[in-house]
Amino acid sequence: MDFSVIANNFSFLISQGLLGFGKFTGGTLRLAIPAIILGFILGIFIGLGRLARSGWVRVPATAYVEFFRGVPLVMVIFWFWFVIPVLLGVPLPEYTVALAAFVVFEAAYLGEIIRAGIQSVPRGQVEAATATGLTSVQTMRHIILPQALKNMIPALVTQFIVLFKDTSLASIIGYVDLTKAAQIVNNREIRPFELYLFIAMVYWLCTYGMSRYARYLERRLSHA
Amino acid sequence: MRYQFDWSVLWSGQTGQWLLQGISTTLEISVLAWLLAGVLGTLSGALRTAGPRPFSALSAFYVEFFRNVPLLVWMFFWYFGIPLLLPRLAQDWLFAHGAEFWAGMFALGVYHGARFSEVIRSGIQSIPKTQLEAALSTGLTVTQAYRFVIIPIALRLLIPPITNESLNLLKNSSVALTIGVAELTFQTRQIETYTAKAFEALTAGTLIYLVLCLGLSAFMAVLEKRCAIPGLIARVTPAEH
Amino acid sequence: MKRLLDLLLSLFLALGSATPAFAETTMEKIARTGTLTIGTRTGSPPFAYVNKQNEWVGFSIDLVEQLIIPSVSKKVGKSITLEKKESAPATRIPLLSSNAVDLIAETMTDTRSRRDSVDFSLTFFVTGAQFLVKRGSPIKGIKSVGGKRVAAQQGATNAKIIREKTPTAQLREFPDQPTAFQALAQGQVDTYTNDGIQLAGLKAKAPNPRDWEIVGDFYSYEPYGMAMRKGDADFRNVVNNGLMDGIDSGKFFEIYDKWFGPKGEVPYPMSPEVKKFLIYQAVPK
Repeated sequence: MDFSVIANNFSFLISQGLLGFGKFTGGTLRLAIPAIILGFILGIFIGLGRLARSGWVRVPATAYVEFFRGVPLVMVIFWFWFVIPVLLGVPLPEYTVALAAFVVFEAAYLGEIIRAGIQSVPRGQVEAATATGLTSVQTMRHIILPQALKNMIPALVTQFIVLFKDTSLASIIGYVDLTKAAQIVNNREIRPFELYLFIAMVYWLCTYGMSRYARYLERRLSHA
Repeated sequence: MRYQFDWSVLWSGQTGQWLLQGISTTLEISVLAWLLAGVLGTLSGALRTAGPRPFSALSAFYVEFFRNVPLLVWMFFWYFGIPLLLPRLAQDWLFAHGAEFWAGMFALGVYHGARFSEVIRSGIQSIPKTQLEAALSTGLTVTQAYRFVIIPIALRLLIPPITNESLNLLKNSSVALTIGVAELTFQTRQIETYTAKAFEALTAGTLIYLVLCLGLSAFMAVLEKRCAIPGLIARVTPAEH
Repeated sequence: MKRLLDLLLSLFLALGSATPAFAETTMEKIARTGTLTIGTRTGSPPFAYVNKQNEWVGFSIDLVEQLIIPSVSKKVGKSITLEKKESAPATRIPLLSSNAVDLIAETMTDTRSRRDSVDFSLTFFVTGAQFLVKRGSPIKGIKSVGGKRVAAQQGATNAKIIREKTPTAQLREFPDQPTAFQALAQGQVDTYTNDGIQLAGLKAKAPNPRDWEIVGDFYSYEPYGMAMRKGDADFRNVVNNGLMDGIDSGKFFEIYDKWFGPKGEVPYPMSPEVKKFLIYQAVPK
C-alpha cells in the first residue's frame, strides 16, 4: 500500500474529477447539481402528468415512467450518446449527453416520488380548498404541493443520493468525473486499491452528508 | 449522410448468438447476486432491528458504507483491488474461473445487499408493536407469534419494495460491462462495434431489458394481489433504483 | 392546469420529433465553429495518453496539432482550435457518425471492412500485433495461446483475428487498454495482445518495464490511419495534405523522433522500408 499516489494526484482528483476545473470536460458536482435540479423540474411534470385526468397526458406520462424504469441507465446513456445525435443531425457534447441522459432517466423515478407525495395528501384537503373558492391551479400551488413536498422530502433526498452516485456512469462516455479521473491516474500508476478506496471515501463523504441531512429533515418535519 | 437501417444485423451471423449469450450472462449474474444480496440484506436488516449492539453497529456500517458509494467504483474495487489481497492459490483459481464474473457478482450482490437491508428494516419497523402483543395475548409463544403473524405480514408488505429492488439489481448488472463481463449491454456494444449499426443494436438491447423488467414486475404484481392482506391499502414503494 | 400540461406535453413531443438539421460538410462545420474535434485515447502511450502532469499528449495528437490544424486553418482562412474527446475501439465509429468528433486520431488500424463505414487518411504508422507477457511466460506467439487467457480490447482488430486463428484461446475483452493491461499485471489473464508498438509503449510506461516481454512475430498487419466520416472528400484532402506537407518538409519525421527516436518516450527506430513507404505516399504538389 502506498498512498503517496493520492497525495501526488490530489488536486487532479478533486479539482478536475470532483469539481470539474481543469483541462478536461468533467466534474462530478458540475454534472450532479444541474441534473438534480432539472430532473426534479421534469419530474414534477411527469408526476403531475401521471395524475392528470386526460388520458392524452396520463398515458404518455405513465409510459414514460414504465419505460425508463425498465431500462438500465447505461443503455439510456448510450442512446443519448450515439443515436439521438444521428436522429437530430446535431452533435451533442459529452456534458449535454450526460446531463440529458440523467435528467430524462431520473425524472421517471422522481416523478413517481412526486406522484406518491401528491397522493398522500388527503382528498378532503382538495375538497375544502375548492369549497373556499380556490381554482385548481391555486389549490395545487397553495394547498397540495406544500404538503406533498413535506411528505416526499425523505424519498426525494434518497433519490438525489442515487443520482449523485449514478453520475459515475458518465465516465463510460469519457466524461472526466471523479471515477474517470481515478481511472486516468490508475492507468499510469497502477494503484487500483489505493485510488478506488480513496474515491469511495470521497463519494461516501458526499452521500453520507446528504443522507444525514435527509434524516434530520425527516425528524424535523415529523414533529411539525 | 442519411442513416441506413439494417435490422438483419441482429440475427445474421454470430450476432444472434451473442445476444442470447448476453441474456444468459445477465440472468446468471443477476440471480447469483440476488441470492447473495438476499442473504446479506436479511441478515443485516434483522440484526439492525433486533441484534445485539456490536452486530447492529456492524450492520449499520455495512449498509451505510456500501450503499453510499457508486456501484461502478465497487466494480473496479472488487475486480482490481480485492484479488490482490487473496493468497496466491486463491488468486490463480479465481483468474482461471472468470474473475470478472465473480467480481461483478460480488460487487452487485454486496451493494444491493445493503439496499435490501434498508428495505427489510423499514418493512419490519412498519409492523406495529401491537401486532406482536396481540398475537402473544391470544396465547401464542414468541416463536409462534413470529412464525404465524409477524413474518407472514412482513413478507407481504415487502413484496413491492423487494420487487423494485430486484429489478434495480437486474438493470444495474449492466454496469459489469466496465470490467469485461460479457452481459447483455456488453454484447449490444459488441454487435455495434462489429456491424457499426448503433441504432439497431441498442434497440435490441433496450427491448430485451424492457421485456425482462416489465415481465418480472407483472408477475410480481399478480403475486402481490394474490397474497394481499385484506384491509391494507398501504403499498410501500420507494422509487429508489 | 390541465391545459398547461397539455401544452407542455405537446411542446415536449415537438422537441422530440424535431427534424434533422441540414447535413453540413465537416469543413463547413469547422469553419462555423472554429474548432476541430478529434477522438483520441487517454491510455495508449505514446500515441495518445495522459502524462504525469495530467496533460493529454502523444504522437497522434502532435500530428494533428502540428500538421493537420495548420492545413485546416489555411483552408478555412482562420485559426482553428483543437478539441479532444476520448474514444475507444468500441466507440470510435459511433462517435464519428453521431458528429461528436470529426477525426479519429489515435491508434486505429485502416481495414477494408472499416472502410465500409468510415474513410481513412494516409497511413501514418505501420505495426503488427504481438503479445505482451510477464517475463518468462511460456507464451511465444500466436501458436502458443491456445487454451490460454488472452486479453484484448473490445472492438480491436486483434480480437477478431484471434477469434479466427486460435479459437481455443479464451478471449477476454476489455473496454480499453489500461483495463486490459491491469488484468495482465494482476495475472487475471496470461497475455495481452495488441499492436507491437502499443505494447512497447505500455511496457516503457509501466512501473517496472523489466518485468514485461513482447513476444511473437507480427501476426497481423496494422497500418494506422486517421478516420473520418465517409464520403467527405474535401475534408479528407485537407487532412491528407497536412500529412503530406509534413512528410515533404521533414516535420513529420521530427515529430516521430520526439516520440520514437533514441531519446524519445518509446525508442522505436523507423526502418528504411517504412520511411520509403511514408515518402511514397506523399504525391507531388
